[in-house]
Amino acid sequence: MLEVLFFLAAIGALGGAVGVVFLKNPFYSVLSLVVHLIFLAVLFLLLEAQFLAAAQIVVYAGAVMVIYVFVAAYVGGIEEPLFDPIPRLRVLGPVLAAAIFIEISIAVLGSSLVALGTEGASDLEAGFGTPASIGLLLLEDFLIAFEVASLLLLVTAVAAIVLAGRKPGEEGVES
Amino acid sequence: MITPLLADTTFVEASWVMIVKSLIIFIVILSIVPVVLLAERKLLGRFQQRYGPNRVGPFGALQPLADVGKLLSKQGFRPKGAVPFLYEIAPALSILSAVLVLAILPFGDVQGGVGLYGIDVPIGILYFFAFGALAFYGLLLGGWASGSKYSFLGAMRSAAQLISYELAMGLSLLGVVLMAGSLSLVDIVKAQGEIWYILPQFVGFLIFLTAGFAETNRVPFDLPEADAELVAGYSTEYGGMRFGSYFFAEYMEILVISGITATMYLGGWMGPGPSWLDPIWMLAKMGVVTFFFIWIRATLPRFRYDQLMSFGWKILIPLATLNILVTAILVVVI
Repeated sequence: MLEVLFFLAAIGALGGAVGVVFLKNPFYSVLSLVVHLIFLAVLFLLLEAQFLAAAQIVVYAGAVMVIYVFVAAYVGGIEEPLFDPIPRLRVLGPVLAAAIFIEISIAVLGSSLVALGTEGASDLEAGFGTPASIGLLLLEDFLIAFEVASLLLLVTAVAAIVLAGRKPGEEGVES
Repeated sequence: MITPLLADTTFVEASWVMIVKSLIIFIVILSIVPVVLLAERKLLGRFQQRYGPNRVGPFGALQPLADVGKLLSKQGFRPKGAVPFLYEIAPALSILSAVLVLAILPFGDVQGGVGLYGIDVPIGILYFFAFGALAFYGLLLGGWASGSKYSFLGAMRSAAQLISYELAMGLSLLGVVLMAGSLSLVDIVKAQGEIWYILPQFVGFLIFLTAGFAETNRVPFDLPEADAELVAGYSTEYGGMRFGSYFFAEYMEILVISGITATMYLGGWMGPGPSWLDPIWMLAKMGVVTFFFIWIRATLPRFRYDQLMSFGWKILIPLATLNILVTAILVVVI
């Protein structure tokens, strides 16, 4: 049962991710990203990370992607060329891609492959992955990191408003 | 046999019990939907000094059946400019996201070894928000895939409205969560043994209900389907049972919001009398909130679009934030 669910979710997540890159219409790309995120939430559920799964759907599929879909529906509909090389990135692109590939390979070979043959952690403490345990971690053990991260998000939000909101009297803004 | 569960639950049952429970909850709520539909038309009639449907069956009671029969027998039609797959799947998404929330509505405590709810998960109310968020895709895909300007504008409006009011809705429920100390709906009902949260959380209750109207696209927030400007918004190009699905999803969502309101603010299944009356109390409270939905529809005019936006962002969200601050301080002090 769990194995079937895992493979369904994994195939769905991979398919969604591939679709994002290979679909030509931006609107479909965004939709396939939504599919990917939903299957990712199922994978989180399989890992007993229930709060993370719910947060994933609420925040990403429910809020972030809504804005993506909103924008893509307005300006999308144009078939973008699949590969449109920007001159300067012709060299830098492959180098960065290779770097990321090596990095991920090291991570996979180092940890994930070792765990493949095992049964996984069977002695999870009670309440693992619940909102209560995550809340304790975020607001007791890692309070400073949590607050720094929220401060960073606040700065980004303020910056976005400053960049987007032009003062009255500037060019192209009425009163 | 105990099923392996993907999430911690406070109460585990045999899998056949879960299946039977789900079926009962689904069938009961499913058969309430046509009743709500008829009640709405009857009540609207009374509010407007007329009779409402009274031709089909005694007192017009068979009107919903006749409507469904008519919708089912219509041709499944797809406009020329529509996107095939998305156009067909969108109404189903709408229904799915509404029906799935029924799983967490509690109709009673554990009685005779069976919990009178679909499932009691620790993430509780977050589950409701997760599927509430997915409901948006049903509307947007339907509007976008129809290939019509009216549908598209309706879909865009619903997107903007949903983002704006989802925030206020989440923030307003946080007050309840703070007081109950749990996200689980069953625990929240149990925490209301002394006093229903509608009294200490009255501001939150008002904000939640207002945002609930906006989430279900009901008057006065029915701009996504404003018939005077957009024909019928996102459902303009739909006919037959696909239109029926959107219609059904809207009423299902009203029931779901009523259920969440009853659970979070009106003491859920609590009421006088023996414990077997609990589900009846819950349904009665849902009925009261649903009646309020219909009453408001007969009473208020539609908002203007800029009013809708400024009301959501400049009044509801600051008010909800203030509500949380005050609640948090009071919870810590007392």
